[in-house]
Amino acid sequence: MLRFLLIRLGRALLTIALVVTFAFVVLRLSGDPALIIMSVDAPPEAIAAFRKAWGLDDPIWLQYLHYFAAIGQGELGLSMRSGRPALDLVVERIPATLALTLPALALKLGIGIPAGIQAALHRDSPIDRLVMVAAVAGFTVPSFVLGLVLVLLFAVQLGWLPSGGQESWRHAILPVLTLGIGGAATLARFTRSAMLEVLGQPYIRTASAKGVPWAAVVRGHALPNAAIPTVTIVGFMVGSLIAGAVVVESVFSWPGVGRLLVVAVANRDLAVVQCILLLVAITMVSSNLVVDLLYGLMDPRLRAGGAAGGH
Amino acid sequence: MAGTSASSLVRGVAAPGRGRRMPAPVWIGLAWLALMLVAALAADWITPYRFTTFDLRNRLAVPFHPTHWLGTDELGRDVLSRLIVSIRISILVAFGATLISALLGTALGFLAAHARGLVEQLVLMLADFQAAMPFLILALAVLAFLGNALPLFIALLGLYGWERYARIARGLAISAGAQGYAGAVRQIGASPARVYLRHILPNIASTLIVSMTLTFPEVILLESGLSFLGLGLQPPMTSLGNMVSYGRGYLTRAPWILLAPAACIVTTTLAVSLVGDWLRDRLDPTLR
Repeated sequence: MLRFLLIRLGRALLTIALVVTFAFVVLRLSGDPALIIMSVDAPPEAIAAFRKAWGLDDPIWLQYLHYFAAIGQGELGLSMRSGRPALDLVVERIPATLALTLPALALKLGIGIPAGIQAALHRDSPIDRLVMVAAVAGFTVPSFVLGLVLVLLFAVQLGWLPSGGQESWRHAILPVLTLGIGGAATLARFTRSAMLEVLGQPYIRTASAKGVPWAAVVRGHALPNAAIPTVTIVGFMVGSLIAGAVVVESVFSWPGVGRLLVVAVANRDLAVVQCILLLVAITMVSSNLVVDLLYGLMDPRLRAGGAAGGH
Repeated sequence: MAGTSASSLVRGVAAPGRGRRMPAPVWIGLAWLALMLVAALAADWITPYRFTTFDLRNRLAVPFHPTHWLGTDELGRDVLSRLIVSIRISILVAFGATLISALLGTALGFLAAHARGLVEQLVLMLADFQAAMPFLILALAVLAFLGNALPLFIALLGLYGWERYARIARGLAISAGAQGYAGAVRQIGASPARVYLRHILPNIASTLIVSMTLTFPEVILLESGLSFLGLGLQPPMTSLGNMVSYGRGYLTRAPWILLAPAACIVTTTLAVSLVGDWLRDRLDPTLR
């Protein structure tokens, strides 16, 4: 178990290191940082001084190490637009984003998992058909279209709800619905196929043949085994709590991390973009790590086999 | 992974894919795709107006207008003409990106299968990294750092999903390499490139093509999402996502500006998924 843990932890750190490398490479590809940050018409002496101060004349591998060290110490630079530390700007937006993504996650879990289980238990019934049609729609309708159709319906036509902004909890209803409906459809599809897979296994037939009541077979044998693949997709959803609302926040002018990212990209505010990139990587990797640990708890075979639970 | 959606729907409607007859939804999907392809290829001839032409006397004309079937926008530009040009650009981008991603992924997969050892580990590590990070965030970071131009944009979207092809190509190439035919060709003295491209590739092509039909709709959604955010294709170029983004400003007064491209995105991704799932059931029962 310890070996399993260490390998997973190593992988997680490696992924973060890769993201940092990615940011470094793309930043260097984008041109001379001195010129980007100082503006083109700065006097040559100022640019030379800047290059010296930031170590831009050092060999590239030394710059790379310095870059790593700086990020390791939490130095993520200043926003070019506001002059404030990029990390502060991002952190103060997190509550607004969570105010959308957490209720949406609850909605996805609350609708998606029961719907998927019901669909699998009553295969080819009207419930199953309905779930599958909804799942296909959830995949093919992009969130901005769904969001705008909801606005058209509930804000423009019926006038029940506001179409954008963040003044009250009523403003959160449409964005949460937009996020939740699409995610619930995805989750229902995954849960359904995981359940169907498990229900076809010999041990289910054995349990039924022994005379175990169907409800107990489902509860004791099918659900725990179907939970394993479902946890993966839920982990991905938890990992994208911070950055999973980029498009929806833009549709509803919701001042969260995603909106900040879009504005920062449009303004080429590199420090903020880099900061969000790292934050997303860290949440994603941590949630993957937790999923791996849950796997270890839920499936004893993975624990015994060490890192055998790869891809 | 998101592309596995429509299969059960098709199954629900018709017999599983082994049957001779093509189920009705697949027919409709194919017909729609053919229509889209014709619109994309013949855009220059079939657009009633140039997509940038103003008709200031007929601004915000409602659909079924005698000279503008799908209405016009705030500047009097014909929505149908803009739609056709947008379809062309969106399909071009999605097609280019899918092709790049398939080529890149397959090449890296073959490389991993051929070299094994450290190179293989490196490719797998990159694939894990790509799968772990939300692509939208990576794409936004690249757009922020490198700016935006059409070739760069297509190349960027071409990075989407390469890891799936790489995993499939690597796995299949390793198992094909162990079979007699690959060994035999190698024994006659064929170069590795010849073994992989002339002998192994044709044997695994159907699986790769099915994967392409699964990534294609996702690329359309990605492109339209980025363009919707104003970070994809830039005006005066137009794409389906751009049109939705523009139409958003006229949601109350002229919803048709937005609904026409939105419906187009939804039906096209739906059609590709239906056809792709049917193809998968026919060609490759192992890919589930």
